[in-house]
Amino acid sequence: MNVSIVPALKVLRPAAVVAAVAFLGLVVGYWANAAFLPGTSPVQPIEFSHKIHAGANEIPCMYCHTQARRSISAGVPSVSKCVGCHTDVATERPQIRKLMSYWDNKEPIPWIKVHDLPDFVHFTHKRHVQADIECQTCHGPVETMERIRVTSRGIDGSVQLDTPWEMGLCLNCHKQNEVENGTDCWTCHK
Amino acid sequence: MPNIERREFLKLVGAGSVGVGAGFMLRETIKHPQEYLIPHVLAPEDFSTGIATWYNTVCSMCAAGCGIAVRTREGRAKKIEGNPAHPVSQGRLCALGQSGLQVLYNPDRLTGPLLQTGERGSTAFSQITWEEGLSKVADRLDLLHAAQRGNRICLLSQGVGGHLAQLFELFMAQLGSERVLHYDFDHPHSLYAANARFFGEQQLPYYDLANTNYLLSFGADYLGSWISPVHHSLGFGHSRQGRPDVRGRFVQIEPRMSLSGAAADEWIAAIPGTEGILALGIAHRIVAEGHYQGADRDAWTQALANYTSNQVAQQTGVPAATITRLADTFAETEPSLAIGGGVAGNHSNGVDTLVAVNALNYLVGNIGKAGGLLFNPEPAGQVSHPRQASYRTMLELAEDARLGNIEVLILNSSNPVFSLPTATGFREALAGIPLIVSLSSFMDETTALADIILPSHTYLESWGDDFPEPGVGFVTGAVSQPVVSPLYNTRGTGDIVLELAHRVGLSEAIPWPSMQACLEDGWREIYEQGDPETREESFAAFWRAVLKAGVWGEKSQRESTFTLDTDVVAAIGVAAPEFSGSADDYPFVLHPYISNTLHDGRGANLPWLQELPDPMTSVVYGSWLEMNPTTAADMGLTEGDLVDIESPHGEIRAPVYVYPAIMPGVVAMPIGQGHSEYGRYAKDRGVNPLAILSPQITDAGGLASSATRVKIIATGSRVELVKTGGTSRDLGREIVQTWDGEPATAGDSAKVNSIPITTVTT
Repeated sequence: MNVSIVPALKVLRPAAVVAAVAFLGLVVGYWANAAFLPGTSPVQPIEFSHKIHAGANEIPCMYCHTQARRSISAGVPSVSKCVGCHTDVATERPQIRKLMSYWDNKEPIPWIKVHDLPDFVHFTHKRHVQADIECQTCHGPVETMERIRVTSRGIDGSVQLDTPWEMGLCLNCHKQNEVENGTDCWTCHK
Repeated sequence: MPNIERREFLKLVGAGSVGVGAGFMLRETIKHPQEYLIPHVLAPEDFSTGIATWYNTVCSMCAAGCGIAVRTREGRAKKIEGNPAHPVSQGRLCALGQSGLQVLYNPDRLTGPLLQTGERGSTAFSQITWEEGLSKVADRLDLLHAAQRGNRICLLSQGVGGHLAQLFELFMAQLGSERVLHYDFDHPHSLYAANARFFGEQQLPYYDLANTNYLLSFGADYLGSWISPVHHSLGFGHSRQGRPDVRGRFVQIEPRMSLSGAAADEWIAAIPGTEGILALGIAHRIVAEGHYQGADRDAWTQALANYTSNQVAQQTGVPAATITRLADTFAETEPSLAIGGGVAGNHSNGVDTLVAVNALNYLVGNIGKAGGLLFNPEPAGQVSHPRQASYRTMLELAEDARLGNIEVLILNSSNPVFSLPTATGFREALAGIPLIVSLSSFMDETTALADIILPSHTYLESWGDDFPEPGVGFVTGAVSQPVVSPLYNTRGTGDIVLELAHRVGLSEAIPWPSMQACLEDGWREIYEQGDPETREESFAAFWRAVLKAGVWGEKSQRESTFTLDTDVVAAIGVAAPEFSGSADDYPFVLHPYISNTLHDGRGANLPWLQELPDPMTSVVYGSWLEMNPTTAADMGLTEGDLVDIESPHGEIRAPVYVYPAIMPGVVAMPIGQGHSEYGRYAKDRGVNPLAILSPQITDAGGLASSATRVKIIATGSRVELVKTGGTSRDLGREIVQTWDGEPATAGDSAKVNSIPITTVTT
């Protein structure tokens, strides 16, 4: 006796079409999210522009990120630091008024973190800044950005916008500069 | 164009929409979660993000007063280490001290003032403001003060020193009360009394463990829990390994092997309570052999006549040959040192025992000698001892409370309801006090009976100072400074007392606005007494220097000379210890010992300490009863068997731990568990052996905590003991190599039943 599975498959055909359409939708939905909500350049509570500060006015990075050369973290300037200049500078702009309302209420500005490393990576700004690595090496052309966005570099050193950091970025640089123990796992994963 | 039916079309649209939604959400959920960078509003001066700031301060976890250095980052305490500059801890710290962080961050801390709304003991507390709490207490104090009934106010604190202790006294004296009591379960009353009798001063000497060559320790678990364990451990390390030419030897005499016993070259178990008789047996041999040549030699011979090796061997169970060997080695090794305390002092003859230990040092000339016993100079500030309430004093307090002579009891982190035997009725006696105020940071058993709780800062948040006792041979002190801002709505103990004083109208006598100001005033005096040539140019500079270093000290030394009273020699003698319960009904002596982690129970609310394996048994979380293997075998008990431990005054239940290093006839239990309050980690865990102790008293008025007899009743049920160790047996693994007989010589290697790792056989 011959048994065929074809009749059983025929019954499944409408379901397969439905599944195919659903999968297509899944891909579209995923792509739409990635394309329109990349999360690589979140809207900040105050529209702070690095282009104006670091670009046009050429304020050195470490004028505000004072900790970078001596701490593991670069540090975000205190509200008082912003107010220090903006008591006199551009006081009438709406964003500066917003800054002043934080100051008047003695509230910190809840900046959203853009550049992030996983918790299992030990990175210290101090060592890199003291080794004269430019901030832009990892953070990209910050002085051209209205709003900070995730930036990495390719193996050839080209700027890759909206690309998160990966281990290759670190290793590449460590190898090129022949960093002592620079490719040792425990140098970063400790 | 395929012909799609309406129904089919809707199906596909539905599937497509669900797919798009699912795809969108999928990407959303795998995205890196949004994190925030919260800046300061105003940049603080004393820390930078990402950079650790260290503060020196003083540990308050036990009475030793170690200097600590606390690592803080972004205003949060992260790690506690010993302060290398502090002479007590010298950069080291014990487990209890390390766990101080969990005192600070404990989830069961009292976070604001509370008022008991239900019946006392119901722990129905409701939150109140500081204003309400303070005014309620101040009103009552004011009333009693105005009516000249100030002496009906009692302040019961844990052991505190320095200017906080002074402030307590000043405050109470102004109110008209002399009832300022400090109460710590493990305060060495017998040791102080023995030193007072022998040396004529109520002060602890400096035991120079570091430089001694032969140490006899009578019951003092000096590496684990005795008076200043961190400092003694340092000394022990130096004595053993710090000197190239000599390795100090040491003998531990105690009925149950403690951490110190395990580190000793020789562990000797004398019948409980006969440690002093053993000491006098050794003394007899020293005098009889002519090692002592003092003018009062005849008096000693006469006083020790009844302590011949054979007589003492009979009473102590230690062979006569061992006694003579100990005596000869002790007398012939220079320098040698005898220390005594802990279990040896916790018997009815505790003071006599420790006097006998002092006599040993005297007879071989160890007093005032490096590697022996040195006298400490007068401390530069107040120490706790003069105010420490003995067990007898606590009973008097309970009696006064019962009679209604106490109207207000102010508690400061003292927990007598937990650490006094239930038989004393202390808990019930508190019912006679109309108002109980607690300043504790935690809901301990005594605080749970309070009417008003004004919670104080932890030691890492408050100002204070400390003058270590036992001292370190020279004058020293340390300031305790806050290392973090207060986490909760609490206040410093000193600040609460000052605020109460101001509200009662005592501002004239107690003018300081804050504890910090009080401290600065006190330390200004210390500064002004300093040598104008060498001291800092201003008090401000001195104060900064002390805070920065975490300690202050002055080169000073004291001649260790004294004249022994002839009456003391004539009265030398140790009576047989008295026990509660007859040996027939209660065949075992209960030996509750201070655990080096939970201490007297104060560490039980810290999970780090709960999960730290006991150094001897490796048991974590819980209580156990240690029992000699032969005893256990006779009773048919194995590890984990639950037994009832019954004394004439109560009964508790705990699992058996079969422990080879305990005498038959003695059973031991760690102190610290069995809390009925004190937070989630301590509550309802294990049992409290102190609860069933007989209210037996030592000759110093302290609690004879090792003088209760018990009987053991098997219950038939069993539990699995939680421990990290496997079997305590070697099982042929040759982990511990033993050696019987003479010291090894080069040709003896064949005798060692082991294979050296360097030999490879093919």
